Amino acid sequence: MSRPVLMATAATLLLPASAHAAGGQANASAIVMFLAFIVATMGITWWAARKTKTTADFYTAGGGITGFQNGLAIAGDYLSAASFLGIAGMVYVSGFDGIIYAIGFLFGWPVVMFLIAERLRNLGRYNFADVTSFRLGQVRMRVLAASASLLIIALYLIAQMVGAGKLIVLLFGIQYKFAVCIVGAMMIVYVAFGGMTATTWVQIIKAVLMLIGATLMAILVLAVFTFNPDALLAEAVRVHPSGAAIMAPGSQVSSNPLNALSLGLALAFGTAGLPHILMRFFTVANAQEARKSVIYASTFIGYFYLLTFIIGFGAIALLVRNPQVFQPGPDGSIDIINGLIGGTNMVAVHLANVVGGSLLLGFLAAVTFATIVAVVAGLALAGAAAISHDLYANVFARGRASEKNQLRISRISTVALGVIAILLGIVFENQNVAFMVGLAFAIAASSNFPVLVLSIGWRGCTTRGATIGGFIGLIVATGWVALSKTVWVDVFGFAEPITPFPNPGIVSIPLAFFAIWLFSVTDRSAAAQRERAAFEALTVRSQTGIGASAASDH
Amino acid sequence: MSSQSVTVTERVLAHPKYRILVRKRNRISLIFFAVMLVIYAGFMLTLAYFPELFGRPIGPGYTLSIGVLTAVLVAISAVVMIAIYVSFSNRVFDPLIRQIVKDVQ
Repeated sequence: MSRPVLMATAATLLLPASAHAAGGQANASAIVMFLAFIVATMGITWWAARKTKTTADFYTAGGGITGFQNGLAIAGDYLSAASFLGIAGMVYVSGFDGIIYAIGFLFGWPVVMFLIAERLRNLGRYNFADVTSFRLGQVRMRVLAASASLLIIALYLIAQMVGAGKLIVLLFGIQYKFAVCIVGAMMIVYVAFGGMTATTWVQIIKAVLMLIGATLMAILVLAVFTFNPDALLAEAVRVHPSGAAIMAPGSQVSSNPLNALSLGLALAFGTAGLPHILMRFFTVANAQEARKSVIYASTFIGYFYLLTFIIGFGAIALLVRNPQVFQPGPDGSIDIINGLIGGTNMVAVHLANVVGGSLLLGFLAAVTFATIVAVVAGLALAGAAAISHDLYANVFARGRASEKNQLRISRISTVALGVIAILLGIVFENQNVAFMVGLAFAIAASSNFPVLVLSIGWRGCTTRGATIGGFIGLIVATGWVALSKTVWVDVFGFAEPITPFPNPGIVSIPLAFFAIWLFSVTDRSAAAQRERAAFEALTVRSQTGIGASAASDH
Repeated sequence: MSSQSVTVTERVLAHPKYRILVRKRNRISLIFFAVMLVIYAGFMLTLAYFPELFGRPIGPGYTLSIGVLTAVLVAISAVVMIAIYVSFSNRVFDPLIRQIVKDVQ
């Protein structure tokens, strides 16, 4: 699409909202807040860059982040635009079904806490591959971890970049390619110069802004209904085309219950395998702080999801009263689902304008932008770690890479990832990317999670078992989605899907666990004996923290 | 692995409280994990196979359905479980760990 056409499209899309006095000001306040965010985060990056001298500084912010700060940063890293705008949009479209995602994302956190967090911190230094390769073969475990991580990061990045580009076009009225370039360029600056320190503070600021914005919106929505949630729901049921059905599990679930369960499994177990989330646990001083990180993070995330329910149902009840946010059909009628300007991802943004006016709209636009760069920066850092720390330092250089070289490669990887993210964002502009975050979670749950859990929790796990099982999980999850309706039919245009339902989790997760078990117990090699024998030392360190990497001094 | 760290590891392994720590902690983690699974699987299975139940209002005159209320409670339960686990770790495991670390170093 040429530039004028795109600008015109963006302008038409924005026009109905900005035809009234609010819109113009909204743009102005959005731009002011957006600039304030850039100035603040660039200042932080400048400060962080001076502190970033070693790879430990680059990947873990020197290990000096507190549990509370890290909890906020995790919330900032985890609550992507998909959570923020996507769940509100799903609740708006189908009510209860949108809630399922929020519950699934949230239940990742008990899994992280009970099975992973503290032992991960005690065993690793920069990323989770340090943990899976603690007693297993360095090269094979690093290659597996880097393969799964880079695939997860690529999928997540594409989804973020495409979503980001489209949102920024709508919010700020700029060109799509330009929007994608801004996000990519900012990510490169934050991560390449400021490393984990800058990334952490960008995520903390974003989490605080997002919690404030969502709290304000929820209060303003409830205030319309004199703080009676049932009155809000009654109004939502009255005006929604599906009526009372929005209060019950809907067609998405009933058409294929196995698919819903499969999705639930991937969401709950995927969190504990997301490389950018696991990486955050190495920024705190010890296992106790890691534990604190989880309780703070899950509290913020849980609270935030409760707010998105209110925002989603509030949008159903209130947007319909504002015809200017809809594109009327040819006969002048309004379809509240398909007629929403900018699509249902814009539900929260429109609601901000409706309940809080242009100032809140501007605030929310700035928060959305902050959200995207914060998540993208976290992903880039995890990607740089996979390339520099896993593939370069421990596979290619076999652990003999100098500190200086590692840091240099990390920065080069960051720039390369930023450029790739921009290119992918442009290539996938008009593709359906909705399946990508789900697939990223499925791969994390089917490859990283089983390998991580069994390598630290089961004596019998061997390199052969973990490698084969991890790759089986990765390949089955990816292949399943590629052959499902969401990709095989919707993207490639074939008539019939090959897999019976789109979500692979219920097959790929147990299969990965089974394969790791099978190929471990049948492994009679001498290396396998040594790996089993090394389990005691691993357990001592994972339980007591003796020998765990400490915070570096500053 | 240096010889010193081997001896520290051996001393930890020989520490009577280490066995207690590992056994207790593994059991507690698994119990919490199992409770979480029961709550989560209960929620997912109910919504997948008994959607009508979740669609019912919580009482006459209410719009709020059993499903939406359950979802809110299930969300809160996730955070509460983590909070209980953390307080358990602070009270029971941390003193044990401190004791072991002090004794072997």
